[in-house]
Amino acid sequence: MSSRAPSPHPDHVDKVTGRTEYITDVEVPGMVHGKILRSPHPHAVIKGIDASAALEMPGVIAVLTGADVAALNNHWGLYLKDRPVIAIDRVRYVGEPVAMVAAADERIAEEALEAISVDYEPLPFVTDATEAIEASAPLVHETHDTVKDFYFKGEAKPVAGTNIFQRYNYEHGDVEKAFAQADRCFEAKYEFPMIFHYAMEPHCVIASFQSDGLTLWSCGQSPTAIQKVLSRVFGMPLARIRIISPNVGGGFGGKASVKIDPLVAALAWKARRPVRVCLSVSESMLTARRLSASIRVKTGVRNDGTILAKSVSVLMNGGAYADTGPAVAVKAANRAIGPYRIPNLKLESMAAYTNTVPGAAFRSIGGPQAVWASESQMDEIAEALRLDPLEIRNRNLLRRGEHVRPDLRPIDVEMGEAMDIATREMTQLRASDSGSKTHRGTALGISDPGIMAVSSVLLRLKIDGSVAVVSNSVEIGQGVREVLRRLTAEQLKQPVDVVEVLTPDTAIAPFDWGTGASRSSLMMGLAIADAAADIRRQIADIAAIVLEVDPQSVELCEGGIAIGNRKKTFGELLHAYFGIDSGELVSIGRVSPYSNAGKLAQAPLFWETAAGQCAVAVDEDTGEISVRHYVSVADVGRVVNRAAAEGQDEGATVMGLGHTLSEELVYQDGQPINATMIDYHVPTIDEVPENFVTVLIESGTGPGLGGMRGMGEGAILPVAPAVANALAAGYGARIRELPLTPERVWRAIRDRKER
Amino acid sequence: MLDPTHIRFVLNGAETELTVDAAELLVDMLRGPCKLKGTKRSCDVEVCGACTVLVDGLPVSSCTTLAIDIDGKKVTTIEGLSQNGKLSKVQQAFLDHAAMQCGFCTSGMVLATTALLEQKPHASEAEIRHFLHGNICRCTGYVKILEAVKSLV
Repeated sequence: MSSRAPSPHPDHVDKVTGRTEYITDVEVPGMVHGKILRSPHPHAVIKGIDASAALEMPGVIAVLTGADVAALNNHWGLYLKDRPVIAIDRVRYVGEPVAMVAAADERIAEEALEAISVDYEPLPFVTDATEAIEASAPLVHETHDTVKDFYFKGEAKPVAGTNIFQRYNYEHGDVEKAFAQADRCFEAKYEFPMIFHYAMEPHCVIASFQSDGLTLWSCGQSPTAIQKVLSRVFGMPLARIRIISPNVGGGFGGKASVKIDPLVAALAWKARRPVRVCLSVSESMLTARRLSASIRVKTGVRNDGTILAKSVSVLMNGGAYADTGPAVAVKAANRAIGPYRIPNLKLESMAAYTNTVPGAAFRSIGGPQAVWASESQMDEIAEALRLDPLEIRNRNLLRRGEHVRPDLRPIDVEMGEAMDIATREMTQLRASDSGSKTHRGTALGISDPGIMAVSSVLLRLKIDGSVAVVSNSVEIGQGVREVLRRLTAEQLKQPVDVVEVLTPDTAIAPFDWGTGASRSSLMMGLAIADAAADIRRQIADIAAIVLEVDPQSVELCEGGIAIGNRKKTFGELLHAYFGIDSGELVSIGRVSPYSNAGKLAQAPLFWETAAGQCAVAVDEDTGEISVRHYVSVADVGRVVNRAAAEGQDEGATVMGLGHTLSEELVYQDGQPINATMIDYHVPTIDEVPENFVTVLIESGTGPGLGGMRGMGEGAILPVAPAVANALAAGYGARIRELPLTPERVWRAIRDRKER
Repeated sequence: MLDPTHIRFVLNGAETELTVDAAELLVDMLRGPCKLKGTKRSCDVEVCGACTVLVDGLPVSSCTTLAIDIDGKKVTTIEGLSQNGKLSKVQQAFLDHAAMQCGFCTSGMVLATTALLEQKPHASEAEIRHFLHGNICRCTGYVKILEAVKSLV
């Protein structure tokens, strides 16, 4: 990055001193506290709710149940209007909100929940996706009410009278004919479990109805989606709904779209008081999770390893409400293609309702599931054909500019370069670690970010030369505030210290599609460039008026403008213009699919990719896998904040080690049996590879400022198949079901030895 | 409910007296009446370390510690680490290595590291990994946290 090294990152100073105000730290005058009574049944009719005892308890202000929301437009959803604000006559998963109490404090609210009695009549339930699509399966929803272009482009394609809420098909070439002509065909099914996001700060929302409308302080990653859903639920104009987004303690997709906001707003509406609801982590585990997937992949190859045809069939477990599942199912299919030349390709994907926690977006939606299947199979083919795993990949790799699918933007990176760098780095790491016996595994991931090119930002240049950036990009830990600060400084040729990125607030920040899909640095960056160009035009016009110079000759410089050798501070210029030593210039920057001569309209906007290589050792007595070394390589176009960018890839990789080695939300008899942090194990510091190398290629070929592309979601893609491939290479144990727990690994190695 | 209890303790160097419910958790006392919101609440079950504070110099999970149990003890929270506006060396190292993302684990991580260095100023990497095992970070993958801590030993 060209701008000079910044002074200490103000967000980081606040974080190391404990001063950062997170959403769970926010206090609103007069606020009371809400707690949620949740369904203990996977599927049941609610026959009655008696909250009279709770209402009599001192300190209890209100109780909300399904009967209260009859007056509201009480079902919502971004693809399917399937979710009630609160359960109305039926519950569809263990953990579904059934009643809420607002009370003077959290303890009273919690105690009041115990005084509410709910009469349930249990219904047959289904928690497994394969069973859910059988004709005899109980229906989780009887009808499917889709909404088109509501917040996501297009609409879901459910199948009437079934639990299938999304179907997606794609084909080019003639797959069956090519399979018939292939020397060998390989077919297998790969299983990927439900994964909990575990953002360390649980979901939290404060809602308050005032004379000027409804205000929410929300943990949500998509403030304008929340605004829109609330507008529909309460029948209020968008202009009367305000979403404020303080710092959020992690998101990873689990706070994307809309989660508990309508629920909390409804309680505030009932209680006629500002209400804060802060979930426990266990409750967050009952709020959203990654969609589990069964993915069948069939690949036909020539004996030299050349791929002739591939078919992918995805079945995803979408849980009780569709949420963003329809998008996840499409992406899981596309992300299973891989960076290879595939002349005949067939993709099928389905997502089904089940009586489980609603599936939701999670870092690279559908991506880790898809790449797990595809890249595991690449190594299986290599082994069967006695080819090196790198050789079979090289033989089929797409070069930059070639098509993954003819209807998508050609791949815009050289995956061969990334793989070569990964190999070189890993070879060095292993050479320097001659003491331990390790085995190498490789995987490549490519994904097509679902980025809507709809963003806008305000820049406000104050008379003292300071600049406020007003956007709805939510700081969830990805470092977007610092990136926007640096990009604004760069665009306006000002030092970063004069730039302040404000807390997102829809009352003042213009529309942005949301914080996710690796889009904010890229999209908001382009919007900032547009706004900065407008500020430059305004300044040049003002200079032309008050200094009588050619506007073309006016350049921005630190603290002001330069016309040749003549300099004026912003203060001098604006004082002369306004007549007083006060004032500001405001500009709006916009990005739409028509921006940049329409180049942002083609999907995907760029390819987000990663090459991963690991060196793995297994304790054969226990089956425990130790990932000793890891190399993550990606062409991110351009790096704006190196430490933060590396941190994104390191964090994504270790998050990937979680679903690779230990994480899995388990259902038994309709109940989630490990939905607490005692039973659900995420990676800890002692599981980090001894050596971790991140290489970020800055090819400058992305569509963003300085050639950046989005990042943060690529590095998670190759982790699981790379580890499984290392395990297979070193120990002959091919496992097609995640996570690779010690028991599974031990059994696989034992079975291998017994054969 | 048990009767409220009067406790005296030293909070970030200052003598403090409070009346607390017998069932009140230390995390709630710190974030509530003490207005020290740098202590974070996450897992509630002593697994994640986000709520770590130092009691007599040792890291404890304030989510599973009763407020009455700190009677007569010294409590240090993240707000008590910097002196006269100057960051502690652990805070500075986390800053220098960009060893945080969302920052929700940072208070606990910094305090646990402070306790580690107090006990073992020259801790080995294995000792660092062992000591910080109880502090979860979901964002960073720990790589930069390890770099920060290793720079201090």
